Amino acid sequence: MRDFEYEAPTTLANAIAVLAKNNGSARPLAGGTDLIDHVRCGRLEPDVVVDVKKIDELNVLELNDSGLRLGAATPCYRIYGCPEISQQYAALTDSCRIIGGIQIQSRASVGGNICNSGPAADSTPSVIVLGGICVIEGPGGRREVPAEEFCTGPGKNVLKPGELLVEIKFPARPANSGSHYRRFIPRNEMDIAVVGVGASVVLDDSKENIVSARVALGAVAPTPLYVPAVGDAIAGQPANEDTLRKAGAVAKELVTPITDMRGTAEYRVHLTGVLTERVLQAAISRARGEAICTKIGH
Amino acid sequence: MAEREVTWGPRGSHTLIGKEVSRIDGVEKASGAAKYTNDMNQPGTLFARLLTCTHAKAKVTRLNVDKAKAIAGVHTVYLFKDIGENAECNYDGELVAAVAAETADIAEDGVRAIEVAYEVLPHVVDEQDLEAARAAKRLKYDDDGKEVPLVDRTVGDPDKAIADADVVHTGYYGIHTISHMCLEPHGAHCTWDESGDGPKLTARHSTQAVSTTGPQFASQFGLDASDVRVICNYIGGGFGSKFAADIWGWAAAQMSKDTGRPVRLMLDRATELKTPGTRPSGFANVTVAATKDGKITAWKSHHWGTNGPQGGTIDGNQMPYVFDPPNKHVVSQGIATDCGPNRAWRAPNHPQLCAITDTALTDLAAKLNMSPVDLYKANLDQLDDTAKENSKLYAAELDRAAELMEWEKKWHAHGKGGNGPVKRGLGVALHRWGGQSVKCSSEVRIFADGGAQASIGSQDLGTGTRTVIAMVLAETCGLPLEKVKARLGSNEYVYGNPSGGSITVGSVTGATRRAALEATGILFDKVAEKYKVDAKTLSLGDEAVWSDKKKVCSWKDACRLIGPEPITATGPSPVADGLTSKLVGGVQMADVSVDTETGVIRINRMVAVQDCGLVINEKTAKSQVYGGLIMGIAYATNEERIMDNNSGRYINADMETYKLPRIGDIGELIVEFYQPDSEYNRGVVGLGEPPVISTGAAIANAVANATGVRVPVLPMTPKRVLDALAQA
Ligand SMILES: Cc1cc2nc3c(=O)[nH]c(=O)nc-3n(C[C@H](O)[C@H](O)[C@H](O)COP(=O)(O)OP(=O)(O)OC[C@H]3O[C@@H](n4cnc5c(N)ncnc54)[C@H](O)[C@@H]3O)c2cc1C
Repeated sequence: MRDFEYEAPTTLANAIAVLAKNNGSARPLAGGTDLIDHVRCGRLEPDVVVDVKKIDELNVLELNDSGLRLGAATPCYRIYGCPEISQQYAALTDSCRIIGGIQIQSRASVGGNICNSGPAADSTPSVIVLGGICVIEGPGGRREVPAEEFCTGPGKNVLKPGELLVEIKFPARPANSGSHYRRFIPRNEMDIAVVGVGASVVLDDSKENIVSARVALGAVAPTPLYVPAVGDAIAGQPANEDTLRKAGAVAKELVTPITDMRGTAEYRVHLTGVLTERVLQAAISRARGEAICTKIGH
Repeated sequence: MAEREVTWGPRGSHTLIGKEVSRIDGVEKASGAAKYTNDMNQPGTLFARLLTCTHAKAKVTRLNVDKAKAIAGVHTVYLFKDIGENAECNYDGELVAAVAAETADIAEDGVRAIEVAYEVLPHVVDEQDLEAARAAKRLKYDDDGKEVPLVDRTVGDPDKAIADADVVHTGYYGIHTISHMCLEPHGAHCTWDESGDGPKLTARHSTQAVSTTGPQFASQFGLDASDVRVICNYIGGGFGSKFAADIWGWAAAQMSKDTGRPVRLMLDRATELKTPGTRPSGFANVTVAATKDGKITAWKSHHWGTNGPQGGTIDGNQMPYVFDPPNKHVVSQGIATDCGPNRAWRAPNHPQLCAITDTALTDLAAKLNMSPVDLYKANLDQLDDTAKENSKLYAAELDRAAELMEWEKKWHAHGKGGNGPVKRGLGVALHRWGGQSVKCSSEVRIFADGGAQASIGSQDLGTGTRTVIAMVLAETCGLPLEKVKARLGSNEYVYGNPSGGSITVGSVTGATRRAALEATGILFDKVAEKYKVDAKTLSLGDEAVWSDKKKVCSWKDACRLIGPEPITATGPSPVADGLTSKLVGGVQMADVSVDTETGVIRINRMVAVQDCGLVINEKTAKSQVYGGLIMGIAYATNEERIMDNNSGRYINADMETYKLPRIGDIGELIVEFYQPDSEYNRGVVGLGEPPVISTGAAIANAVANATGVRVPVLPMTPKRVLDALAQA
């Protein structure tokens, strides 16, 4: 393992200054659950590691009438520890509950999950379907990028050298809405998604028809994939089995998975259909105020 | 000396034996105080890291370590390979060189600095494709170059029996290679020190064989066996793969000799999976025939597989497993693959034999519209020679397992597992094992201050060996457990057997019982003389000596008679005196749910009914069965070595992609020992291996019962489940 310097700035301005000064050879550290591993195995070789956990802006967790503000370094356990967030942004807390185990969740952040930009990242599909906006700050100032545009390839994203993800903003949840995230892993817990699906639906007042839906898929493309065509195909349709089947069929058309030892491309396409149906069904149930089984692995 | 009758005493007369007793070293282990080889960190220790071959088959053409040696902090480089005679590498992960340095990081830098180049040779790593192996000439051939099987055995007239049979079932079955995946990797911490009059080499070795690895170190270095001390107080898993000093042990010793510093060399995780052992694979075409009431009349099988470069597979001489129909024809062929070599894996051959035999029998039962339990019962009069002795056990164990599983209530015909996407079903399988104790000694000492210890050059694989030794000593001396000492883990104690074959509990407890009986007999003589009582009437209990239920004196008072020289007695094992015996059966049942849309199998409940004669410690014995079930769930569902045909490499050699079950994958485990008086009277029989044997077959059978479709090859990954469903 290569030696590196460690800095722990307490203000956003200082953090950006350190990052900018090192011009690409500095690396932000949130929970470190990806970064430490990557440094140890030599995949990343930063000269400076910049701990961002001590910066207030990156630790906000604020729910109000205009939506949710989620600081980029906020660890998973704080997110699912908040009952109102679990209720309103259920897909997000579904994700936070299955990233690693308790130890990992005590450190790992949603910001780190997105910035690590793995195709199988468990929180990114949820952030996308809940309409998350990434707030980025760097030497050039502040800019906002919709979550679905953040990742650009495996391990790649829109951040430029010196830039930091500060927070993710979510709009307030509409009435009659529900969301869910689920992944397929061969084991019950602690595994990397073979396919992950996040979905958010809005029903009409009768709760029988779908007004709109957003679906995003993980592990089936080079980046977590927002699939508006699935939402388009079922908007305005009755919330029933036929509609769900249609959604699954559309999703299967859109994915371009790879074959690796975790699953063949064909198998991932099949699972994309099965999971899309199941996840949408759960999101619909939640929109109707029904409880769903969120036991890990079910 | 007062002769003490060598028995375990009447059932029910014990304070410790047969009870659930927690491990005496449990707190040390759970708290991290227990020091494993991987924790050895004496002042001055150098840390070694390995360079391994990255090809399936290759010749080393360049190996230059100058740059590695030039790194500050690197002390020595050891070569396993060279560019001369020893240039050939036969599998991905084979050791090439080791670097020892002040820190592990520096050693890693050293490994990176080694210049190595290979001439890459063509490889074969596919263990399942017999035709490809044939084309590549990787089977066995006679002197004329003609392909010959490893085993080709015919009994009776199987073809006629099949033609005459009421029902014939034909199927394909298989089970892939797995690695041992010891939590604590293989390795040694070696200290070479010729300064004092102590042993020249101290090897703190992660080993299942404290008493027998010393000579292997000694002969390598031209030392006397007495010059090597082997220490292993705790070991984090062996499963049959840690019997040898091993080339990495020798390397650590050599590097210590060269540098004058202690050297710790542990295999890294990838190497741990690739190099020190695998369980061989087997794939079989099976035909099995029966009468309409389920009597098996014929078995034909042709199986092939690999155990690595040697070109073996699972033992054809033991096929079919447990059941022995009058007509059979068995052929086996081994593929010499450029994969890591095999080592004994918990009950060598048996899990694979069971996974091929018992699955075919369940499919036969389905064809007969019979419950597999009834099929088994219909054939308990035709068991193989070792299983035969236990035929009565199987009937009783099948009944008890069925009760615990609620088999009658839950079992349904093949494929009637429900209408929704998730199907539920039951499966059963059974096994046999030897477990006879072997040569082992125990030295018991009783001191004048009342202290008592038993010491054996044995090892505690995590099975509770230390605890059962202490229990037997305490029981025999009438002392509470915490007042006796059990010492093992050093070859400076009297000889202990290597722990393999489920032989240790009988060996160490038999030897300790005998030694303790002899030592207390000597004590009784002293008590008899001093207190004027008949030594023959004496007994021990409650920290006192008793004569016909009257207290003669306290244990402490009795021990005061001993004087400065402790009473020392050494007990041998095994002796045909009823303390130990051999042969166990065992029945397991599985209740699973199969998600037919995702292919995931969930274990709802496993039942294991196991006999093992007299149970010394019910708690550690149960642990052993739980562990067996968990390992079985692993190889049944997701655990396998994945070789990449293109590169020839072992591509899932890490903790993330080598898929062992998580706690949530285990389900409910119900373990019960079958132990009527007849079992108690048999004495102690080993238990370590049998509980892992029939788990895989039982789960596979439950999946078939749930879905009506046989998933032919273990592990039944979700992909394989869906493929089987799609093909059905
Ligand atoms: C045992 C284990 C199990 C795991 N299980 C899962 C799982 O089930 N699902 C899953 O998706 N992941 C899993 N992971 C991966 C990891 O835990 C998650 O990706 C986690 O969310 C990363 O968050 P972190 O705060 O630890 O990120 P870090 O490791 O601190 O950072 C991750 C990357 O993002 C960069 N970064 C961090 N914060 C910022 C920022 N504010 N701005 C710009 N760049 C930033 C870092 O430089 C680094 O490259 C697991 C990891 C481990 C070790």
